[in-house]
Parts: sequence; C-alpha cells; structure tokens
Amino acid sequence: MIPGKYRSVSGRAANNVEFKLNKETPSFSGRLLQHDLERNYSSRQGDGRVISPSPRNKSSCISSTTNVTELCGLEMKTTMSSLSAFGDSSIQTPSKSRIRQGCHSAGPNVSGDHIHLASSSMPSFPILQRSSEEKILYSDRLTLERQKLTVCPIIDGEEHLRLLNFQHNFITRIQNISNLQRLIFLDLYDNQIEEISGLSTLRSLRVLLLGKNRIKRISNLENLKSLDVLDLHGNQITKIENVSHLCDLRVLNLARNLLSHVDNLNGLDSLTELNLRHNQITFVRDVDNLPCLQRLFLSFNNISTFESVCCLADSSSLSDITFDGNPIAQESWYKHTILQNMMQLRQLDMKRVTEEERRIASVVAKKEEEKKRESHKQSLLKEKKRLTINNVARKWDLQQNRIPNIAPNQDRKVSDSPQDPSQLHGSTVSAFPEETGSLDSGLSNTLQGLSVTDTHLVEVDGDTLSLYGSGALESLDRNWSVQTAGMVTTVSFTFIEFDEIVQVLPKLKIKFPNSLHLKFKETNLVMLQQFNALAQLRRVDQLTIDPQGNPVVNFTLWKYYVLFRLSHFSMQKINGTEVTQNDMIMAERLFGILAHVASSELPQYRLISILGDVRKKQFRYLLETKGKKPGLVNEENSDSKRLVGENTNRATLNYTTRDFYNERLEEIKEKKKFCKMYMEDLVKEATEINMKNEALQKLWPQMFIELVRDAVIEIRNKNSYMKLCLQQITDQK
Amino acid sequence: MLSPERLALPDYEYLAQRHVLTYMEDAVCQLLENKEDISQYGVARFFTEYFNSVCQGTHILFREFSFIQATPHNRASFLRAFWKCFRTVGKNGDLLTMREYHCLLQLLCPDFPLELTQKAARIVLMDDAMDCLMSFSDFLFAFQIQFYYSEFLESVAAIYQDLLAGKNPNTVIVPTSSSGQHRQRPPLGEASLLEGVEASLFSQCLENLCDRHKYSCPPPALVKEVLSNVQRLTFYGFLVALSKHHGINQALGALPDKGDLMHDPAMDEELERLLAQIPGLVNSATANPEAGCLPSRTPPRVGSPWRPLHHARKVEAESDGSTEETDESET
Repeated sequence: MIPGKYRSVSGRAANNVEFKLNKETPSFSGRLLQHDLERNYSSRQGDGRVISPSPRNKSSCISSTTNVTELCGLEMKTTMSSLSAFGDSSIQTPSKSRIRQGCHSAGPNVSGDHIHLASSSMPSFPILQRSSEEKILYSDRLTLERQKLTVCPIIDGEEHLRLLNFQHNFITRIQNISNLQRLIFLDLYDNQIEEISGLSTLRSLRVLLLGKNRIKRISNLENLKSLDVLDLHGNQITKIENVSHLCDLRVLNLARNLLSHVDNLNGLDSLTELNLRHNQITFVRDVDNLPCLQRLFLSFNNISTFESVCCLADSSSLSDITFDGNPIAQESWYKHTILQNMMQLRQLDMKRVTEEERRIASVVAKKEEEKKRESHKQSLLKEKKRLTINNVARKWDLQQNRIPNIAPNQDRKVSDSPQDPSQLHGSTVSAFPEETGSLDSGLSNTLQGLSVTDTHLVEVDGDTLSLYGSGALESLDRNWSVQTAGMVTTVSFTFIEFDEIVQVLPKLKIKFPNSLHLKFKETNLVMLQQFNALAQLRRVDQLTIDPQGNPVVNFTLWKYYVLFRLSHFSMQKINGTEVTQNDMIMAERLFGILAHVASSELPQYRLISILGDVRKKQFRYLLETKGKKPGLVNEENSDSKRLVGENTNRATLNYTTRDFYNERLEEIKEKKKFCKMYMEDLVKEATEINMKNEALQKLWPQMFIELVRDAVIEIRNKNSYMKLCLQQITDQK
Repeated sequence: MLSPERLALPDYEYLAQRHVLTYMEDAVCQLLENKEDISQYGVARFFTEYFNSVCQGTHILFREFSFIQATPHNRASFLRAFWKCFRTVGKNGDLLTMREYHCLLQLLCPDFPLELTQKAARIVLMDDAMDCLMSFSDFLFAFQIQFYYSEFLESVAAIYQDLLAGKNPNTVIVPTSSSGQHRQRPPLGEASLLEGVEASLFSQCLENLCDRHKYSCPPPALVKEVLSNVQRLTFYGFLVALSKHHGINQALGALPDKGDLMHDPAMDEELERLLAQIPGLVNSATANPEAGCLPSRTPPRVGSPWRPLHHARKVEAESDGSTEETDESET
C-alpha cells in the first residue's frame, strides 16, 4: 500500500513533470514514515496484512476492488496521513482511474489489450511491449503488479519511464532495467530479491523500495547519489553499511531486519527519519553524526540501558523517538532518564512530551543525582571504614605475633586445637579480603592517604557502638550527647586487648548506662578470670564472644563461668543462645563451691583487702569524676553497694589486668623485702634474747645457791651482824 | 617448739627450715598491705586470723604464686583448695584441655605459670598430644606430683637425662657395666625394648637424691617400691607411677584417695543450699537434680546423673571419672 501511495504521489509528480518528491515539504517523509509506522503497528497488532500480505487479504483486495490505488487511497483515508499532506487530492483522481485500468490489465487475467508480454529471442526473459495508446497515456509509468513474474522482463522502448512498479512478484534478481535511466521511482516490494544489483545506471533514482525481500547486505548503491527514500524493511540485513555516500537520503527504513547494533551512519547528512523497529539492536552509535535526524524509531529491540543509546542525547535535531518494546522501557527510571537527557525531544513513544513530564523528569533526575552523590559518599565512607579496619587488623596481627614471644602463656596455640573446627584461626586478613575494584583508583588513592594514619575506628550505627583498635577506647572520654549515649545498647570491641577494655569499663558504665549487649571479637580473651572484670558493669543482658581471637571460647566451661560470675545480671543470651534455667543451675553446680570457698573460707583480713581493692579502684575513679556530677557519684555509690550486696560471695573473684597485677607483684616484692629484713632483725634479736635467757637459766640455780650461801655466812654471827646493820643506819644519817 | 630437732639447730635456722619465718614475714607483709583496714579491728585479731587460716590452709586463696609455692604446706593447701573448688567440674564428668585446667588454676592464683600446668599435662598425656582432653582426677593427681615435688622432679629429670646419656651423676666412679650397657643403647631395633633407663640404677640415684635434697621429696621407701616393680622405665612412666601411687598421695596428705575424690559431703551440702538460693529456680533445683545435668556435651555421660549425695557415694566409688572408666556409672 505504500507503493500505492508512492504511485499516487508519483502520479502527481508525473503531472508536474518535475519530480519534486516533497523536497519542499519536509513533513512529507515524516508522514510517509508515519504511515509506515502505523502500518507496522497494525501488523503488529495481529494480522500481518501489510508486511506479509496474507493470501486471504490479497484475494479480497483483488476481488472486491481490484484496484490497488483505491485500496491505497482507502488506506490513506483511514490513516488520515497523506491526503492532507498532498494538499490537493484532485490530482489523484485521474491517475486513479487510469491506473485502475492499468491494474486491470496487470491482473491475473491478462488480456493483452494494453500490455503485451511476449517471449523474446532469449528464452528466459519475456519482452514487454505496450500499445502505443498506452504509451501515450502513461508515458512515464509502468505497473507490473502481481504478474507472477519470476524475472524482470525486458522493457523496450520505454526510456521515458520514471516510475516502475514490480510489487508482489517473484523476482529474484534486478535486471533488464539498466536502460531506464530516467527512472525516479522503483518499487520492488514483496519479491524474492537476494541481492541489490543492476541499479548502477539509474542515477536519477530517488525512491527505491525493496521492502519484503531476501536481501542480506546493503550494497551496490554507489551510483544512486540522489536517493531520497530507501526502504529495506523486512529483509535479512545484519548491519548498516555502504550508505555513507547517500547524502541526500532522507528516509531510511530498516525495520524488521536482523541488525544487532546501529553505527556507520556517517555521511547521511540529510537523513531525517530512521526506522529501526523490530530488530535486535542492543546499542546505538553515531546518531549524533546525523545533523537532520528528527525521527528515530527503535521500538521492539533489545536496548536495556540508557548508556547503550547515550549518543542520542548529543543529537540536537532529534525530536521524536520510540523505545517501546525494549527492556529499557520497563525500567522505572526510563521515562525521566530519557527526558532528562534529551531535552530536545517532543515525542516519546508516540506521545507528546508535556512540560509537566519534563519538569518531573528533571526533579527526579535531580533526586537521582543527589542519591548518587549520597551513595558515593557512603561508599567512600564505607571504603574508608574498611581500610581503617584492615589497618587496625594488620596492626593487631603484628601485635599478636609479638605478644606470644613476650608472654608465652598468652600464645594463641589453642586456636588451632583440633576439637573445634569452627574456630577461625587468627588470620584476620582473610576476614577482610581486598576488594578495591569497586572504587575508582583516584578515590582509593585518596583513601589510602587517609587510612595510613587511622589506627582505630569508632562507629555509632543505630544502637551499636563499635570500637576497632585500642585507640578507639579513648573515644569513651569524649562528650557523647545524652541522646546518643542513651540510644547505644550494644557495644562491640574488635582488635582491642581485653585488658585495655577492662580499664575503661567504669567509663563505659557511666557514659553508656544503657549498654546491655557487649560484643568482643579479637580481644585476646584467654582466661576465665577475665570475665570477672565484667561484673563491675551496671547491667549486661547479652554477651557475644567471637571465637576469633578469643581462645577462651574454646573452653567447655566458659559459658557456665560467665553465667556463674555474672549471675547478678540475669543474663538472657550468651553468644546468641538463650540462657536456660538448666544453664543457670549447671553454672551454680560447677562453680558454686568456688564462690562459697572464696567467701566463707577466706580469712577476714583477706576478704577486706580483696573487696577493698575493688572499692579502692572505684573510689579512685570517683575522685576523678567528682565535682562534675555529684548526682552520678551518688548513683555510683548505691551501685557499688548493690554490687557488693548482691554478690558478696562472688565479689572476691575479681580480675586485675596483667599489667596492674605485675605492678602489684612488684609492690609486694618490695614490701616482702622490707618485711624479710624486719623479720630477720626481729628474729635475730629474739633468738639472742632467747639465748641469753637460756644462758641465764642455766646459770641461775648455781647463782642462787651461791647467793644464799653468802647470805647465810654473813648472818652466822648474830651480834656482829646486828652491829654492822646499826652502823649502816647511823651512817645513813 | 620443743621438738628434739630444735636443739640440734640454731634457732634462726630452725625457724627458717620450719617455714615459720616465711609465715611471719608474710603476716607482717599482709599487715603492711592492709594496715588501714586491720588497724580498725586490731592487730592481735589479725595475727590470730592469719595463723588460723594458715593452719586451715585457706591462707593461699587468691595469693600470688611465689607465696603459694613457698612452703610444702602452702602447696598442699593449694592442692586441697583446687580439689575442693573444682571437684564439681570433675564430678560433672567434663574432660578438659590443659589450657582449661590452667584457667581454673588461675581462678585461684592469678599468676599461676602455664609451664607447671603443661608439665602436669605431660604426665597425664605421656608427653604427647598436648591438646587432648583429660579427666579431672588424672589431671589432679598428676598435677599434685608436679606441683608439690616440682624441684625434686626437676632433679629427677636431670638424673634421668644423665642416665640416658650414659653418665651416672651420683657416683664419682662410673660403674663400667652399666655405662657400657648404655653406650650400646643407640641401635634402633632395640630402642623400643630398651626404652628408658634401668629401674634399679635409677632407684639408686634417686635414693641418693632424696638423701641430700633440701626440698620436699616423696618418701624414699615409696619411690623404691614404685621402682622395684619394673625392670626399665621412662621418665614419664615414672611420673605416672608416682601420680597413681596411693601411698604417695596419702603421705602428701592434701587430697583424698582416688576413690573418694568426688566425695565431699560438707561441700555438697553447701552446694545444695546455694542451688536452693538461685532465684526462681527453687523447685527445679531441689525436686529435679538431673535437670542441672548438661544434656549433650559429653555424650557417653549423658546418662550419668548428678545424683543426690547418698547415691553418689556408691556410684563414685566405681567411677572415679578417669578416662578409662567413663561408662560405669550408667550401669
């Protein structure tokens, strides 16, 4: 039917002699393609009538009207496309009737009145001759529709032909028309042509219609420099090629081919309309090299991202585009992305683009941009966090490798004990695999600059406070907002020596009074007694000790010890597992006696000194914070009372960090030294006294006897003794 | 203070030898440490309590290791305290690793050295597979020997090494026969047969050692008895034999006999009282003692209930919790 239309057009053109195929009406080709588009629509909607006319349709056409032109006219009327474009429909009327006759003559029952097809000397090619009457009437056109032609007939004496129609035949090869050098319009729609050929002499050809053939390549169009319309729809073309010289081409139809992509469009400087519907196109290039392109139809292809068609955004002339039937059209961002990137667009998918839509698109795009920036920022932060943690992990590893040499009783051999396969052996590096691919190099470069200095990380995420690296503990000195501090219920420690954590526990207790869940990972928890330190907290509901870097978790008894020692917290979960009554009983059974012995059998002075240590420690801390918050201090006091009250038989089980303990041992050593010296002196003195005493004891009986003897001798002569005594008394006076 | 030996020594040496000085020093040290607290309730009271606790053996609780190992009495007291506090762990049937035992030791003595625990574990595990699980009683008796006689054992180890190398450390004149024998030892085919040293020679050396050893050592007669049963023995074989020897345990006097190891009625009573105090658990704790038993940690012992005392006595006479008799309590 398109050919029909062209015919009518050319009919007019013939009347005007000069074929001015709407060079002055640029809208024409638009309409033309619009028409084609509509046609395609209708075919898509189900009956395939036009592209591949069904026999039923064909026959009905022929039998009812047997007038292609009329049919075409009807079609045109129904699609209301071209009639108005041509302005005056009157032109068509004469040609219509005449062509009808022509048609009649070209009908299946060829009468031979007007056209005579005779076998030539060459057996394969029929020779066409028209009667002179016909020739005069239609000197410039020839229609050989539905003639069951398998080859092009030799057309003799028709050098003036401008329009030639071979629609709906079975022609496999274009030939025998090279003498028709004035041909402007050649219609070979619906034939079986496999290759474009035999056109090299038709230099004035403007319209070439090769729709619905079997063409595999675009070729042999080198001489057709004036080509205005090229219709190759419904063929088997896989790529666009050999068209760059067609600088006058305005309409190119490649719908329903096998194109996988679009490029090689250079040189098509006049192309205003490009139809690429129903291909398998995944990406489009070069469209920005088409200065006049206004309409581009990409419906029913395989375009899924905007990036693959982004060159469209650079085309300033494009005003009408279709993407329907592509994966991209299903995306939620489709419409606003397209509109945002192609401000020049007036129609999208056959619908007018309204200002409102444009506005929404720009708003959405702005939001998108913001989101992108935000996510970029986030990923930046994330990356920074990852790198920092990596760095902390590395440091920790270094530290851990060093520590076993210094303190052999902390070496972490336990972690590869065979009875616990779930144990992740100490390599923290594996837990944070390098994955820098996600970020561009510039970004990671700047990050690396940052990360080198970061040896710790503090993060508050919702109700979780995460601390990485021992430096992070200092953050507890910061002034946390009441809100943040109140919100934090989970505190997680990673890559920090437990002993260091112990020292900040009092701070933690005050700064984050609501922290209920403690998490430890890579904290070097190696001994059960370390859990004693947690008893000083206000409340702990949950405890999570990651086996990674905490060998204590390998012990069978650790959970029970925790339950036992921290029984005053009535803990609910340990490592994610609910604590049951049985667990509580078991804990008591295992360690109850320890507590009993510790409390009841400990001599009073020891009890006081041990409890005193705890109290002293608290006191020391209180002194530090005193004056600032008297309220807190009071609370603290009652708290420690509660701790002592609830827990007396356990309070003796406390934990002093290794450093502190060693310090104390040193202190004790000093005291011991002093005591030793003191005792030595004391004992020496005592033994000396004892020795003297013993010597005295030995001598004493003899001495006594001697003394008595002396006394007895003295008083033997009573008179003289009396005299002596009197003498002494008088002497005294 | 009126024992006859007293007269044989000068007073000071006597006091030192009897460790009286140690305790007096420590008492003064403690006094110094807590002088504010103690001055509140009287120095006399403090000394009374101190020496009472020394007599009861509770003075070593939570003390530093240097003090705990200072005297045999302290060592024995520590052993007893360890047994008393963690008997329940053994009773529950848990097999623990060396490190876990070490942690338990550290609960009582924060700076207890890992080395000692390791050595004790070596006795149980015969010097290999140090990550193996051990039963409480095995560990405890091995630990007792290692801890109480640690200096003695070190000397023994040195003697053993010398003997292995073919030297006789105790005698100046090397007996040619035995030394010759030891020099021929290296042939590998005989190695398994001739593993260790000859018991009689070893015994002789140890006798000498006991005589001149200034630290406490096991009664020489009992050592002789241990060595008289075998022809040859290895170092760890010797230690295992020591640790399993009844008489030595009795002579040491810190721990009950193996059969009675899990038995401590006074403490069990105390424990029941404590269990009854667990808030909210009164009923289940008293009515259903089995509830406290762990369901699945040590599968062979699942059936072994935590029995009330009067049952427990009999059961534990059969099953002392050592590794080779795990299932008897179920019968």
